[in-house]
Amino acid sequence: MEVFLQQLVNGITLGGVYALVALGYTMVYGIIQLINFAHGEIFAAGGYMGVILISWMVAQGYPPFVCLGVALALAMGYCALLAMAVEKLVYKPLRSSSRLSVLLSALGMSIFLQNGLMLTQGVYDRAYPGEMVQGGFEIGGAMVSYMQVVIVGVTVFLLVALNGLVFRTRIGKAMRATAQDKTMSALVGINASRIISLTFAIGAALACAAGIMVGMYYGSVRYDMGFVLGVKAFSAAVLGGIGNITGAMLGGLVIGIIEVFAAGYISSEYKDVFAFIILIAVLYFRPTGIMGENVDDTRV
Amino acid sequence: MKRALYFLSLLLLVSVVATGCGEKKEEKKAAAVAGIKIGSLGPLTGQYAADGNDIKNGVLAAIEVMNPEMGALGPVALQPEDDACDPRQAVAAANKLISEKVTAVIGAYCSSATIPAAEPLMAAKIFMITPASTNEKVTESGHKFMFRTCGRDDDQSKAAVKFMTDHLKAKGVYIVDDKTTYSQGLADNVEKLSASSGLKVLGHEHVNQGDKDFSAVLTKVKAAKPDVFYVSLQNSAAAAPMLIQIARMGIKTKILAQDAVYHPQLMELAKKDAEGVYLTFGYTDKETPAYKKFAETYKKFGEPGAYSAYAYDSAIAYLKAVKAAGSTDPEKVKAELMKLDFAGASKQIKYKENGDSGSNYVIQVVKDGKFDNFWNPENGQLYKQ
Repeated sequence: MEVFLQQLVNGITLGGVYALVALGYTMVYGIIQLINFAHGEIFAAGGYMGVILISWMVAQGYPPFVCLGVALALAMGYCALLAMAVEKLVYKPLRSSSRLSVLLSALGMSIFLQNGLMLTQGVYDRAYPGEMVQGGFEIGGAMVSYMQVVIVGVTVFLLVALNGLVFRTRIGKAMRATAQDKTMSALVGINASRIISLTFAIGAALACAAGIMVGMYYGSVRYDMGFVLGVKAFSAAVLGGIGNITGAMLGGLVIGIIEVFAAGYISSEYKDVFAFIILIAVLYFRPTGIMGENVDDTRV
Repeated sequence: MKRALYFLSLLLLVSVVATGCGEKKEEKKAAAVAGIKIGSLGPLTGQYAADGNDIKNGVLAAIEVMNPEMGALGPVALQPEDDACDPRQAVAAANKLISEKVTAVIGAYCSSATIPAAEPLMAAKIFMITPASTNEKVTESGHKFMFRTCGRDDDQSKAAVKFMTDHLKAKGVYIVDDKTTYSQGLADNVEKLSASSGLKVLGHEHVNQGDKDFSAVLTKVKAAKPDVFYVSLQNSAAAAPMLIQIARMGIKTKILAQDAVYHPQLMELAKKDAEGVYLTFGYTDKETPAYKKFAETYKKFGEPGAYSAYAYDSAIAYLKAVKAAGSTDPEKVKAELMKLDFAGASKQIKYKENGDSGSNYVIQVVKDGKFDNFWNPENGQLYKQ
């Protein structure tokens, strides 16, 4: 029982991170049917921006939670701008061409950004400054560290905020309308370009927050950290039903928990295998993912 | 307005790629006039980059020391190649070095890269001296020009198991490796030896290369309550997140790691969570004149990593042999290389018939952010602290 609880805690932490990154894939797919392969690199860029900002602020002697909060806000802003720049320069000019050429340019962008990070930040792992959030507590024999609480807390906060934005505001309504029918929404006065740009920005900001938390949790970041996590998060988006926001959250959580349980109860060698077996099994019976991609109301 | 936006976007993209180019030109120029050209092989990018760069820098330091002595044979130039620790890329890099007409290759780091890269190099009669690949198989193919400056994993696992049974008086051990030729080979050796010396193996798990999340495995380790947790991962960057998570989960078990985690990067990444970790590593006396000379020359590359000194010694050994032979003819150099017996920075360098140079593993411990000699398996004595 103790072990089960502990594995559940581990799985939820990991799943939360996957969910945050998966949202970016799913939102962009929902609105322009593009699989944005450069998304994982935005996540890595966020991790680096976080380490730069946090190191600097810790050196100035600010208290840990101020550092974390300010760094999160600034880095998320940077990533949002970066993603908007990528969209404007690379994807927008190709919007009327075939989907394949946009997809290929997304792959190219991913390689470009990863190598950019390597050139500017070096090939070594970069350490996050000492434990900012220390200690933990026990529930029923399972060890929960405060760092895990912070990760889950920030994730839940961001997910709730995103839900509010998409389903309760005019901007959200415009996003959903654009996702359903670009031409029609443009006819009723929605600036589709701006909405698409905004979607990229929001997805990037979430990935950026995930990047910082992953960096703090594992103690370091590396230029290629976005690749593996990007693949997992993309699978999570597909599992939940790509294009579906609630699906991405659920998919992230499911992949995270399955991975941990497969590693814990079967063999850690096969944890990725099991995550992908579940993915294939779900897609076999429900080709549109757990939540389905065509639930118009929740698609962005 | 629109143009300004475009410009701003471009600026942002450039912010990711802005600095960093511009060092490489000088190396190329030197290579053009070189008398002797040697190559280095190791992961210069990817997760093991720190170790590959140590090897390259070690060779550069050796060239700097040996260049004035080479006379008419010199100058010596280095062609560094990146194998990313990947078997296929290692073979491609080896072929590139062959076409660049190098006469010796110092490398590689990962045993899984060294073994396949050796094939084309041996066929081309090019020396391969590995400073870091400890897997037994490296020198067991009977290659004529294959040498190894570091120790062997069968010896390393003996030292590890002896430490666990004799000094830690452990009854149960839990083993984790990350499935590379080196890390799994070593872990399997430890498992076999443990079983025959009365140490119970409570579990042997394999994690994936490049994993950062070990929470699931560590939960199992915690539940198994071993006396020692044996960690065999491919390098320090892989071990650091594991140590952080061990501390976070409140696992108090003693931890024994191996030579691959010996790197200042470990303390930089894992910080206080690296304290008290034991590891097996070749014994190096840092007070010898040879080591001091190495440390002095190496200073400009930063702090020496695990295999910097071994790479330095490997290159020195080759260049000494070339100097003695008076040419780079492989047969003549081989004869001279076998005669060598000198005090290197890492240890006494004397190659045996199969290319090995002997192992001298001791147990080290991380103390106050530094690696310290701790226990000598030869006599079962503690080192003076």
